[in-house]
Amino acid sequence: MESLVPAPLLQVIDQHTAFVTSRGLLKAVDGVSLRLERRSTLGIVGESGSGKSILARSIMRLLPPSAVIGDSSRIVLDGHELGSLSERDLRRVRGRRMAIVFQNPMMSLNPVLTIGTQIGETLTHHLRLAKAVARQRSHDLLVAVGLPQPDVRIDQYPHQLSGGMRQRVAIAIALACEPALLIADEPTTALDVTVQAEILDLLQRLQRERDMAMILITHDLGVVAGRTDEVAVMYAGRIVEQAPTRALFRNARMPYTRALLASIPRLDDAGHSRLATIEGRPPDLIHAPRGCSFQPRCPRASDRCVREAPALTRSDGHACACWHPVSGEVRA
Amino acid sequence: MANAVLTEARREADAGDDAAARTAHRNRTRLGMLFWLPLAWLALVILLAALAPFLGLAAPDAIDWANIKTPPGTEHWLGTDVLGRDVLSRIIYGARVSLAVGFAAPAIGIAAGLMLGISAGYYKGWLDDIIGIAIDTWLAVPGLVILLLFSVIFGGSLLMVCVSLGLLFIPSAARITRAATLNFATREFVVAARGMGASDARILAREIFPNIIWPLVAFMLVDVPIAIVAEGALSFLGLSVKSPTASWGGLIAEGREHLQQAPHISLIPTLVMFLTVLSFNLVGDAVRRRLADVRESAI
Amino acid sequence: MRYLVRRAQRLVIVLLAVTLFTFLLVNVLPGDVAYEIAGTEATPETVAAIRKSLGLDRPVLVRYFEWLGGILTGDWGKSLKSSEPVWQAIMARFPVSFELMLIAQTMALMLALPLGIISAYRAGRRPDKVIGTLAFMSVSMPAFMFAILLIFLFALKLEWLPATGYEPLSKGLWANLKPMILPALSFALVEWTILMRTLRAEMISVLQEDYISLARAKGLGDGRILLAHALRPSSFSMMTLLGLQVGRLIGGAIIIEEIFGIPGVGRLLIGAVYGRDFVVIQGCVTFIAIAFVLVNFLVDIAYSLLDPRVRVSGAAHG
Repeated sequence: MESLVPAPLLQVIDQHTAFVTSRGLLKAVDGVSLRLERRSTLGIVGESGSGKSILARSIMRLLPPSAVIGDSSRIVLDGHELGSLSERDLRRVRGRRMAIVFQNPMMSLNPVLTIGTQIGETLTHHLRLAKAVARQRSHDLLVAVGLPQPDVRIDQYPHQLSGGMRQRVAIAIALACEPALLIADEPTTALDVTVQAEILDLLQRLQRERDMAMILITHDLGVVAGRTDEVAVMYAGRIVEQAPTRALFRNARMPYTRALLASIPRLDDAGHSRLATIEGRPPDLIHAPRGCSFQPRCPRASDRCVREAPALTRSDGHACACWHPVSGEVRA
Repeated sequence: MANAVLTEARREADAGDDAAARTAHRNRTRLGMLFWLPLAWLALVILLAALAPFLGLAAPDAIDWANIKTPPGTEHWLGTDVLGRDVLSRIIYGARVSLAVGFAAPAIGIAAGLMLGISAGYYKGWLDDIIGIAIDTWLAVPGLVILLLFSVIFGGSLLMVCVSLGLLFIPSAARITRAATLNFATREFVVAARGMGASDARILAREIFPNIIWPLVAFMLVDVPIAIVAEGALSFLGLSVKSPTASWGGLIAEGREHLQQAPHISLIPTLVMFLTVLSFNLVGDAVRRRLADVRESAI
Repeated sequence: MRYLVRRAQRLVIVLLAVTLFTFLLVNVLPGDVAYEIAGTEATPETVAAIRKSLGLDRPVLVRYFEWLGGILTGDWGKSLKSSEPVWQAIMARFPVSFELMLIAQTMALMLALPLGIISAYRAGRRPDKVIGTLAFMSVSMPAFMFAILLIFLFALKLEWLPATGYEPLSKGLWANLKPMILPALSFALVEWTILMRTLRAEMISVLQEDYISLARAKGLGDGRILLAHALRPSSFSMMTLLGLQVGRLIGGAIIIEEIFGIPGVGRLLIGAVYGRDFVVIQGCVTFIAIAFVLVNFLVDIAYSLLDPRVRVSGAAHG
């Protein structure tokens, strides 16, 4: 049966990532499973502390030494088990088959190296291109990401570029070796509002042109609307809802997702109306409650929610982890 | 950075996370062998130095032409030097000089620095400026040069060495005290104390002083081995206490010409001095880490 | 720009204060120079005559300004023992001290760089602990003790290197470097620790930066990441420290030059101290102090010019 369906590009199976701290074991990613088909886009949405960035790093295998990965966790990229690869082989995958764009380009670009060097070294390292060829390719990449004056910029340093331009460079770096998977971890959060849409449009266009799969990570539901095929909502290290994008926006089942949707300010709200917020504080990831992790803040919580953690149940393509899912359409 | 590390961490975590993590953290700051061993050595040295006249040692300046440069043996446990004097005895008497300077010089420096720093930080204004310029000038000349000058001008005596070395410790003590004083002098409890009519001296003593004691203690711990080394350098050049008084640096210098035939004359004092300075450093380091930890958990 | 001017003003004040301080210290003596020269048998008249000839009977401040003027015009006085002009004597020996300093700092860097990188890369694990222990022990051993041990081991027991002496460059490069190795090493074994610790601390924090994560995400090897990406941003404080150490040693390393018989400024000074040649003492101390202050000043300026944070804020305003 498996051969009839094309294998997904990426499979995340029961990912557990935790950190050893002086106060105990911090469970940042607490049992996440995902599939990503080729050329599709997945949006991962959550507050800070929900584990979405750690998940991205777990997929890229970029965790600090204090991180602990669960024994049953597996990541399969294009049929290859990443967990069984040696560090040397992992390095051949990183940057070549999968690439990442980080949130703050001021911090993710090396301040003492030129733009050209930072793009070029990926090419020389992975594709063994000669310096001159790599430089030409880097130039072409800068054109592809829409960076103005690429001939000048290629020899400049990051601090000489604006935030939007730097992020374009970061994207160029990620695309250099034509990866099959691009992970964008909050790519626009650190940028001006006017630039955000440009960068997101750029990512969408490049993805289509290059047949890539993309994971778009953000805390802002507005970012994933219209730009992703499917959306997964994370809370306290777990996926609490996952559905095709339109279905999620129209028919969010988990109270948390509904609250997130409600907190997006809308143009047709009455002037000076109060922004809806979610009550309560972010969950403690070291001493997690036994039941549902959202329960302390949920207006629909019941005794069952306190006692038992709901599993992710799927019905017609729409998964939700809640004992009392909301039904009915969201205000469109 | 490697899968091997992840497996290692996995194993550690499986073995009961919470308690293990906390114990590991505590172990790093516990007072272990690296504290007790050097402390024992220091206790030995200090004891021997203090009780030197009562130990029945050969006189440190007793010249014996018949037995020059003899290697360690039964009669002279650590051998004799170039004039037939007993090396063990000279080392113990030399310890008296080194330890005296080692404690007195930082004490003088810190005491003086304390007064200057507090005055500068508390009264501010022109007093602060003058003290600042004086300190900058003082720091502009390399230390050893100043020590040389002092020894030339004032002659070589234990007192002179203690005072001139002490002067070298003033700038950093003054700076820290001044910074801490500036920090605290404007805080509310000081202003409140003033408002209730407390005199300046009282404020200084009761409010400000207890708050600067910790950084100064840390300082002292670092300065003692520095003072011992500095005295060693001075006496090596012959500019500390004058012969025939024994001093560690002097012993090393005396044996320098005879390294080929009688290395023990230089090498044994070198070893003793190294162990002592190392011990001070180890003890100081352990205490400082413990203090920092105590302060953190107190907060 | 204003910052530079202010620093320059401070520099001049400190230099004046230093020269005044040196002058007062050497000339406010319980023992009178004139007595030293005249000898113990001399009559009061001889002493007075000598005093007059040396100009010692005039007020202190007058003598100070006269001396200061001499300093600025290149007349640093003549040695009491040899009548050699002090400035010539210092200039003849300065290159030697400078060379020793250069070699010593290079050796210290050669030790500090790899060990610092390894400690930061493997922070908290065995290599780091071993290097840390070595550093700790190094710190407990002053340069002159290293010198004695090195002489004992390499010069006397193994006979690989000479214990004393100096050969000018004219005799050949190796002949010149050979006697400098042990003295430079004595220093390097002390200096490397603080350089290494500074590098390690900064590199540990640099290794946690996002751009290092990105470099790893690109699939680059650890070696390339450490050397091409992490090293330069981490070396800032270390290079500043190196500059300051240059300042300390540029005036001659007194004890080491004495032990190894290197004819540098330090050796000149200690010889003058033993021989109570106050004019030379004064000249040497002034020279050392001025060199120290000037180098520190240059390092200060270089720091403010190179520090990206200062530069960036400067650009924002200017």
